[in-house]
Amino acid sequence: MGGFSKSLTGRVVLRVDEVEKGLLVSLADQVCEFVTPEPRANADPLASIVGIDMDAEFPDDPAMARLFPDAYSDDPEAALDFRRFTQRSLQEAKLAHARTVLQSLSKSGEKITLGAGEVPSWLGFLNDARLAIGTRIEISEENHDELAELPEDDPRHGMFHVYDWLTYLQESLVQLLLP
Amino acid sequence: MSSQIDVARPETVVDVDRPWITLVWNDPINLMSYVTFVFMEYFKYDRAKAELLMLDVHEKGRAVVSNGTREEMERDVAAMHGYGLWATLKKDD
Repeated sequence: MGGFSKSLTGRVVLRVDEVEKGLLVSLADQVCEFVTPEPRANADPLASIVGIDMDAEFPDDPAMARLFPDAYSDDPEAALDFRRFTQRSLQEAKLAHARTVLQSLSKSGEKITLGAGEVPSWLGFLNDARLAIGTRIEISEENHDELAELPEDDPRHGMFHVYDWLTYLQESLVQLLLP
Repeated sequence: MSSQIDVARPETVVDVDRPWITLVWNDPINLMSYVTFVFMEYFKYDRAKAELLMLDVHEKGRAVVSNGTREEMERDVAAMHGYGLWATLKKDD
């Protein structure tokens, strides 16, 4: 298992095996599904075009709430307004990242060479996937070791190992990008 | 005023025309390196300043990463949410 590296010509490269590639495809599919904005039956078409969603509410799902947090911690009304004017665009940006990742994967074999335009999408996708999974397994700064030792029949066991792998991938990518 | 606020401000002089602030909050998922990268890429802070802010977030639970008009801070918060950082804005009082 290797993380991201740089080719001799300075391009960002990820080498994966078949299993890892399948996992990335599956994760990107899940992120797409997760962030796709809900269709609104009576939405004003013009409002939708400019990214306004007057029916947006604070998400019930903790992972959604982590990806789309309140912008005002002490003013629920302003937070809801902000959400109605920004959340749809944010969902679409995250969806575009995950779709770019799917495209990178579908056009490559086990060596994935990223164009400069694909790199921010990979970084964004890896972070979104980690936020969603990390929130689901309720990771904290103290329970990493505890989660790492969960028995195999615990539903969080597999998710934790995927999370750990994504962390490794993201860290390797960030290290390449930091000047 | 706490030292945390002093460290986080680009200038130590309080500008009365820039009364809103963007706060980034600590979370157990975002990588320290990634948070540093985001502060450098989006705010164009140099590495030393970006790392100082990141450490403030990590150790003190939050840091003021920018200040300006309400509209400017809403833009910064939306951008931070785009990167997956947990950010809020408020009037600086």
